[in-house]
Amino acid sequence: MAEPSLVLNGATKRFGAFTAVDRLGFEVPAGSIVGFLGPNGAGKSTSLRMALGIMTPDEGSVSLFGETPELSALRRVGFLPEERGLYKKMTARQTVAYFARLKGLTASEANARADELLHSTGLGEFARAKISKLSKGMAQKVQILSTLAHNPDFLILDEPFSGLDPVNQQALEEIIREQHAAGATVLFSTHVMEHAERLCESIVMMARGRKVFDGTLEAAFDALGRRARIAVEPGFDLPAAFTETGFQLERDAADHEDGADWWVVSLPDGRSAQGALRTAIEAGAPIAGFMQEEARLRDVFVSLVEREEARGKLPPKPEPEHPAEAL
Amino acid sequence: MLRSIYLVARRDYLGYVTAWGFWLGLLITPILFSVGMMVPAMAASSVPVRHFTIVDAGGDFHAAMVEELADRRVRSARNLVEGAGLLLGSDADRDAALERFDAAIEAGDTPTEALAVAAPQLPELQIPERDFVLVDPPAGTLDGLRPYLTGARHVETEDGPHPLFAALIVTEEGVEYWSENVTVDGIKALARRAASDMARNQIFGDAGVSVDILDEIRAATPDLLEKRLREEASADSEVTLADRAPFFVSVGLSFFLWTLIFSVVNYLLMGTIEERSNKIFDTLLTSVKLPHLLAGKLIAVLAVSLTLMSVWTLGGIGATSLGVSFLPGEAREMVGAIAAAALDPGILVPALISFLLGYLMYGSIFLAIGSLCDTIQEAQTLMTPLLILLMIPLFVVIVAMTDPESPILAVLSWVPLFTPFLMILRMPTDPPAWEITAQMALMICSTGAILWLAARIYRAGAVHGAGVNDAMGYLKRSLSFGRG
Repeated sequence: MAEPSLVLNGATKRFGAFTAVDRLGFEVPAGSIVGFLGPNGAGKSTSLRMALGIMTPDEGSVSLFGETPELSALRRVGFLPEERGLYKKMTARQTVAYFARLKGLTASEANARADELLHSTGLGEFARAKISKLSKGMAQKVQILSTLAHNPDFLILDEPFSGLDPVNQQALEEIIREQHAAGATVLFSTHVMEHAERLCESIVMMARGRKVFDGTLEAAFDALGRRARIAVEPGFDLPAAFTETGFQLERDAADHEDGADWWVVSLPDGRSAQGALRTAIEAGAPIAGFMQEEARLRDVFVSLVEREEARGKLPPKPEPEHPAEAL
Repeated sequence: MLRSIYLVARRDYLGYVTAWGFWLGLLITPILFSVGMMVPAMAASSVPVRHFTIVDAGGDFHAAMVEELADRRVRSARNLVEGAGLLLGSDADRDAALERFDAAIEAGDTPTEALAVAAPQLPELQIPERDFVLVDPPAGTLDGLRPYLTGARHVETEDGPHPLFAALIVTEEGVEYWSENVTVDGIKALARRAASDMARNQIFGDAGVSVDILDEIRAATPDLLEKRLREEASADSEVTLADRAPFFVSVGLSFFLWTLIFSVVNYLLMGTIEERSNKIFDTLLTSVKLPHLLAGKLIAVLAVSLTLMSVWTLGGIGATSLGVSFLPGEAREMVGAIAAAALDPGILVPALISFLLGYLMYGSIFLAIGSLCDTIQEAQTLMTPLLILLMIPLFVVIVAMTDPESPILAVLSWVPLFTPFLMILRMPTDPPAWEITAQMALMICSTGAILWLAARIYRAGAVHGAGVNDAMGYLKRSLSFGRG
C-alpha cells in the first residue's frame, strides 16, 4: 500500500490560552481527493499551515510524504493559500515562472511551463501583462497556475473556491479532477459543503479546533440517518398510527405556517420513506403534506457537531486569535 | 538553500531597480547634494537689499558708519580673494594676490577695481550686492520715521522708493536701533563696530596716540604656525592638507553612509508591507524557509545599495577626473589628498564594516516593522520615534566637524545604533586600538541580536499575522511583567 501523502497525528496548535487545533489526526491517502470541511474559524487553515510546515505543532506530529514538512517534501506540494496575493508589478508569466523556479525548476523549464499553462487556460495574451492590470478573476487564475506550475504530486488548496464566480468555480473543479486523474493527491478545505459533495471520496470535518468526522462521504451520510416528514390535519394522532411499526416519530420543530401537524419520521435500515407514507395512509391519517428528506453534507455536519456538543467533546465557541503570542 | 536565497534576492533586486523610483533616487540624490552644498552661497547671494537711516545730530556716528560700510565692502572683496586661494594656485600665489589687493585699496581703488587687479584671471569673482544701504533720514524724530519703518511710507533712493528697514537714532544715552524686524542682526553688528571704532578713535585722539599704531601692532604680531606632533620627533611637521584630509573624508563618509543606509532600507520596509498586504507570505513560505527569505531580501537591498554606491562613486570619480584637470596645482593636491585618505585602509575598512553592519542592523529593523504593517501609515507609527533617534548621529557629525575628539562623540560612538556612523568619525584621531576592537565587537553582537529579534518579529508578522497593536501590546505586557 502506498505511503499516505499526509499524516497528522495528534497535532495541536495553541495561541496563548486559545487552542486553535486540538489533537487533530487524519491521513490523506496517496492519489485521493479529500475534503477538509468546517465553518470559518474551525482551525482548517491552521491545520493546513501545520501540514505545510509554516507553523510547527505544539504537540503531535506532521508527516508529509513520510517525512517532516521540510523543503525537500514541500517541493512535491502545490499550495493555494486562503489569503491569496501576488506581486502586483510582476507579469503573469514572470509570476508563474518565479514560483515554479522556487519549487526547483530551471529558468528555461519554468518559462516554458508558464507559457504552456497560460496558453492552455486562455491567458496567453495576458502573459506579459502585470498582475495589477489583470482582473481579480484572472489574477486568481494566475495564482492557481503558479500552484500547478511544477506538476506537484500533492495539491493542498485552502478555500480554493472562495472569491471565484460560478464559472471559475466550475473551471477549478475541472482542474482538480484533471490533476487527480493525472495521479495527484488533493486535499482542499472549504466551508461550502457542496464542492466536497461533488469532488471528494472522503472528508475530514472540523469544528472549534477538533475533528468531528473522518471517513468516506457514504459513511458521513450514514452517520446522519435518513428521514421523511409527514403532515396531517390537526387533531389526528399520528404517533398512535405508527405504534410498533419500527418507525420513530418526533414532532417537527420547524414552523411550516400551513396549519398542519408536521412530524419527522426516522427511517430504519431497509425501510423507505414511501413505506412510512403507506403506513400513515393505511392508518387513515388525513395527509396534508409529505417530504422525503434528501440529506446534504451540511446536515451531516450540523448533526455531527450537535452530537459532539451533546457528548461534551467540543470546547465553547472560540475567542479571537492572539497572533502576538507568537512573538 | 543558496538557490532559494538567490531567487528571492534576484526577484527583489530586479523589482527595485526596474522601478522608476530607483532611477529617480539614483539621479536626484547627487543633484540634491549639489544643491544642498550650494544653498549657503545661494542664500548669501539672495539676501534682499535693506535700506536704513541714521539720525545723528553730531555726525560722528554717521561718519563712523559710512566708514564701517566701506570697510565691510573691502573685507568682503578681500575674503573673496582669500577664499579663491586654491583657484589662484599655490599659497604664494594667493598671498601675492592679497598683496596686490591691499596695495590697490591703499592706492584708492574701489573694492571692485582692487579685486580685478588682485585676481585678473578670475573675472567671475564679484563682490555681492550691498545688502544694507544707508539713506538720508526722511524725518528727524522717531515719530516722523514711524510711517516709514512700518511700511506705510517709502523712502526715496537712487533706485526709487523703498521701505525703510531700520533707523539708528543717536541720543545722549547711546545709539538706539529701531526696526519692526527682530531677527536680522547685520545693521546692529555694523553699528556696534562703528560705535566701537568711534570710541577708540576718540580715546586714542584724547591720549594723543595715532590710530595707525593699531595697524603697526597687527603687522608686528608674529604668525601662528600650526605644527603636528608625531610619535617620532623627526616626523613632526607643519599641518598640511594631507593632515586634514582624513577628517574631511571621515565626516563625508559618515554622512554618506547615513544617507545611503536610509535611502535603501525604505525599500525593505515598502517591499515587506507590499508582501504582507498582498498576502504573499504563505505562498513563499512553502517554497522558501523564513531565514532564507529574510536573507534574500537583505541581500537584494544590499545589492541595490552597492549599485547606488558604485554609480555615485564612479560618477564622482568621473566628475572629479574631468574637473581636476581644470584646477590649479594646489587644488589638485587637495583632491589627491582626499582620495588618498578615502583609500586609506585605516578609514576605508572600518567604513565598509560600519556600512555592512549598519545596513544589517537598520535593514532588519525596517523589515520587522514592515512585517507588522498593512499600510505605510501604520509603519509611520513605529517609524517616527526611530527616525527621531536616528537624527542624533547627524547632529554629532556636525560636532565632529569642529572637534573630532569631542567627548560627546566618544561616548555616543559606543551606542550600537550610532556606532556605524560615529566610529568612523573618530578614526582620524587615532583612538586606542582596544576601543575600536571593542566597538566593532559590540556592533557585531548588537547586529546579531537585532537580526535575531527582527526574525522573531518578522515570523510573528508574516506567519501569524501579528500587527502593530499586537506588537505594542506585547511590549506593554513585557514591560509590565518587568515591573511586576
